[in-house]
Amino acid sequence: MKSYSKKLFGLLFALALLVSACGGGKAVSEEPVPATEPAAPVVTEASAISGDLVIYSGRSESLIQPVLDAFQAKYPNVKILLKSGSNSELANALIEEQSNPQADVFVTTEIFTIQSLYQRGIFQSYRPVGAELLPAEFVGPEDSWVGITRRARVIMYNTELVSAEEAPTSIFDLTDPKWKGQIAAAGSTNGGMQAQIAAMRQLLGDVDTQEWLVALMANDVTFFGGHTDVRKAVGAGEFKIGLVNHYYYYLQLAEGSPVGIVIPDQGEGQIGLITNATSAAIVKGAKNVPSAQAFLDFLLSAEGQKLFAGLNYEYPLVAGVPLKDGVQPLDDFRLADVNVAEAALDLDGTLDLMEAVGLP
Amino acid sequence: MRDNFKMQIRNTLPQLRNYNISPRLLFAAGLVALFVAIPLVYIFFRAFTGGAEVWMRLLQTRIWKLLANTLLLTAAVTGGATLVGVSMSFLTERTDLPFRRIFRWMLAMPLAIPPYIGGIVHLTLLRPRGGAIPQLLAEWFGQPVPTPSPLGLGGAVFILTLFMFPYVYLLSGAAFRSLNASLEEASRTFGRSNWHTLWEVTLPALRPGITAGALLVALDVLAEYGTVALLRYETFSSAIFVQLSGRYDRSAAAVLSGVLIVIAIIILWGELRLQGQARFTQVDSQWRPAPPHHLKRWKLPASLLVAFVVFSSLLVPLIVLSMWSVQALLDPDTLASIMRSGSQTFGNYFWNSLWSSALAAVIAVLLSLPVALLSVRYPNKLTQAISRFCQVGYAIPGVVIALSLVLLVNRYLPFLYATPLVVVMAYVLRHMPQAVRASESALNQLSPSMEEASRTLGRTSLQTIVQVILPLIVPGLLAGAGLVFLTSLKELPATLLLRPAGFDTLAVRVWIWASEGFYIQAAPAALLLVIASAAPLYFLLRREQIFR
Repeated sequence: MKSYSKKLFGLLFALALLVSACGGGKAVSEEPVPATEPAAPVVTEASAISGDLVIYSGRSESLIQPVLDAFQAKYPNVKILLKSGSNSELANALIEEQSNPQADVFVTTEIFTIQSLYQRGIFQSYRPVGAELLPAEFVGPEDSWVGITRRARVIMYNTELVSAEEAPTSIFDLTDPKWKGQIAAAGSTNGGMQAQIAAMRQLLGDVDTQEWLVALMANDVTFFGGHTDVRKAVGAGEFKIGLVNHYYYYLQLAEGSPVGIVIPDQGEGQIGLITNATSAAIVKGAKNVPSAQAFLDFLLSAEGQKLFAGLNYEYPLVAGVPLKDGVQPLDDFRLADVNVAEAALDLDGTLDLMEAVGLP
Repeated sequence: MRDNFKMQIRNTLPQLRNYNISPRLLFAAGLVALFVAIPLVYIFFRAFTGGAEVWMRLLQTRIWKLLANTLLLTAAVTGGATLVGVSMSFLTERTDLPFRRIFRWMLAMPLAIPPYIGGIVHLTLLRPRGGAIPQLLAEWFGQPVPTPSPLGLGGAVFILTLFMFPYVYLLSGAAFRSLNASLEEASRTFGRSNWHTLWEVTLPALRPGITAGALLVALDVLAEYGTVALLRYETFSSAIFVQLSGRYDRSAAAVLSGVLIVIAIIILWGELRLQGQARFTQVDSQWRPAPPHHLKRWKLPASLLVAFVVFSSLLVPLIVLSMWSVQALLDPDTLASIMRSGSQTFGNYFWNSLWSSALAAVIAVLLSLPVALLSVRYPNKLTQAISRFCQVGYAIPGVVIALSLVLLVNRYLPFLYATPLVVVMAYVLRHMPQAVRASESALNQLSPSMEEASRTLGRTSLQTIVQVILPLIVPGLLAGAGLVFLTSLKELPATLLLRPAGFDTLAVRVWIWASEGFYIQAAPAALLLVIASAAPLYFLLRREQIFR
């Protein structure tokens, strides 16, 4: 008798562990898939938007969290489960999960990755409210994704160490030996840098892009894991020059550092300013489609655009949303002409190139 | 000499002679071994069916450089940690070093600091030009002073040595304490100097302790992801992570994993050969402690050396993390940003860390029991093989376990995929060896006569286990659970790759902030992680005689 009760106890204990463990996890997998028409915008009461909303975000957490908070304030019944990581890490997770989808929304900091995921059939179609106000090239084919804000690849410099006349005006000036050891940039694991190289391969071809990368490395450019290190190093005078996304200049300026900005490659025959865009899409097989659609609508709403762009000095893509005070408009600059679909097709080629030259 | 030891061991082995192996026990242990084997076998299968083309590509481009990098780092850190660990344990155990009681504690505590956290702290202090120390030097001297960079091989060796030497320190310290005074006295009687005695008698006698510690260090270096990624030194582990997260290339990741496991198994095998058959730690009735050496004029330099090690491996990380944490807590914006992620809050991360590590500890210890019972009570080739097999987890780095679980679970158990249970499963697989070793040593200390009595009185083997053995070995099992808990808390790469959305642990939070350069934001989670790890470590050390 006693031994049976012990056995029973053991069994119950194991069961309890299992149950508590499952309870600790998210309950998404047990919830029924809402029977909504994925493609049609669902107009729902705010209170009807509820449940777990799983967001995979490649955007820096300090920049997405206030947006999530604002969305949460609007839809208090939604529980947001955020998975932050690098663009590629999350993209790979989405590919792995294609037959067993876990995420509802994917937010990324450039459009090549999201376009290549579209080509693999990862997303479902949805045209958010406000999509008609986006420039046409920032709505993915079959309404698979939408752009949110634009960002540009610029040169920032420390104004105490470099004068405005002296500052390089082209990204190709960064290979000039007079800046040897004075330049900081982000390395091969950084999404912004990857996207720049992908764009350059299309604009110039592999040979010239590779030459440029080799020359940067020969010029003792220091490659950091992310741009925050780069901007702080330039702001502190540790390096004279940094190759960054434009908002890192504004973020550093806001900290009171003596920094200047160059919008590069505007001269005759030069490639123009390389830009990219943050973007978002709804995953095919998402379990909480109404909330996901509400989230995309929110990102393109005036409030969402102002918040998303303003937090980070970016350029709202929706027409008519004002720029944050002090941000230089891009209207007067020539932008590099990059074909997104083509660049997206050959992302592996970009990774191969970085690996071949041994970019840190 | 060696034969005597063997005899002694054979006579004291606590095996049961009069009962046959219980088939149920064998079945249970076999199941555990199977569970542990699945990821390993699967990775090998994937690696060797990965296709000639992948192999050719990797052989031509990556493998050789990775191999050189990985072996160089492993050798350098193992050497460095052995040197630091043995000298620290010698100074605190065998000399009249001042404050040695407190130093003993402080030298063990860096085990509570994950190397990537130590690396973050030292990186911000030492980074050329931008680091705090180079800037201070530049201010003092009025011009930049060249300082060694913490990046690359040199930096990785420095950081990993600083935070891994305690393995060697603890194990060689135990060996120093159990050393019989007569051994050294005999040597001196034969006219050897102190110095010769140390090299020719003392250190060889310590060999088992030192190699065991060095083995742990070597395997940990092979598995290390966070530090090498932070300091941008590419090894197999970080390359596998990049293949997995940077591009969608499972085949290449599997091939690299296969090679990495082979290296780890070679190291494990090498340790077995080095250890030989001898167990020098047997204690006979004549035992008395060796008297401490007098440092005399070396007292000051020796104290400074120990103080330097304690300072850079324990005090600097603690002080810097505390300062950053205070800074983070005082600034409302920073505080707001670290307190929330999605709808999750700081409390969620802490709780996730605690319960997943604790559950892993409980499961690992439960699973280790049948394996340990078999190998201790019924030692034969089969049961030893099962036990060894369950310790292979040591040799499988977190990234590799993550890779095999991602592939296996998503394919065959999709309902488990993206649940915290997969993370727990990875912890169990990876840290099972610690549980097996702890359970085996607990059982080794238990005389089989109790069990024989219980069996004679008509209890079945299961009743004997539950009613007699378990209550007696609970302290030993708790130690094993403590070790698994401690190492699971610190685990980074497998957690990063396997975590479901909304299930971030403290380690993941530290990494997310720090990898973007937000060190202040990373600090509170890092400090909490260190404190949470220090608690089980304290408990484990208290079990040791000298730490009471």
